[in-house]
Amino acid sequence: MKPKFLFPYQSRILGYVCIVAYLPVMVYKKILHHGYNNIGLKTQFEESNSLLNSEHILTATAVALVIIGLLLIAFSKEKIEDEQILQLRLDSLQWAIYFNYFILVASLFFIINMHFKEILLLNLWAPLVFFIVRFRWVIFRFNRLPQTEN
Amino acid sequence: MKNSLRVERAIKNITQAELAELIGVSRQTINTIESNKYVPSTVLALKIARVFEKPVEQIFILEDTD
Repeated sequence: MKPKFLFPYQSRILGYVCIVAYLPVMVYKKILHHGYNNIGLKTQFEESNSLLNSEHILTATAVALVIIGLLLIAFSKEKIEDEQILQLRLDSLQWAIYFNYFILVASLFFIINMHFKEILLLNLWAPLVFFIVRFRWVIFRFNRLPQTEN
Repeated sequence: MKNSLRVERAIKNITQAELAELIGVSRQTINTIESNKYVPSTVLALKIARVFEKPVEQIFILEDTD
């Protein structure tokens, strides 16, 4: 069984680079949100509805970077990608989707005042993170299987 | 389904890792097949049979519960 639609093994590193590259952007955005940075310079951008608004471009790029990073980490091949790994991958994906929708439905009931935008924003990356955590855990356990020779 | 993979390996005197390399899977996969935790695909079963030069039915045996 040949694995389809998977990135090469090394692309996982690129995924981590994308996530790490996002961190300074996040810190920068925090400063922006505050309005002033530590040395008292005004950093708030003017409100604008234009698509070429620099804050809009920064936000869109940062979110795209994180999603691309997570996709690369989630769907890059293992060193030896055999049929059992594919099976574990599929199981983890199913688990992650179930878990994600469970959290989503639970949050609908337990969050008052419906911060629906926040819940949806969380769902930009939550399923991928659930999948990555679950899959890495399963692979970790799989690799720790005792070596029973003979 | 049960299998006689461990016995066949002992007869041929090859390790799990060597068998894994011959058929292009990870050693853990051979391990889980031997301990009946994982049922290999037809392709993988045929590859294993080819290594031991025996028909698939001699290595993988259906049980009543299957």
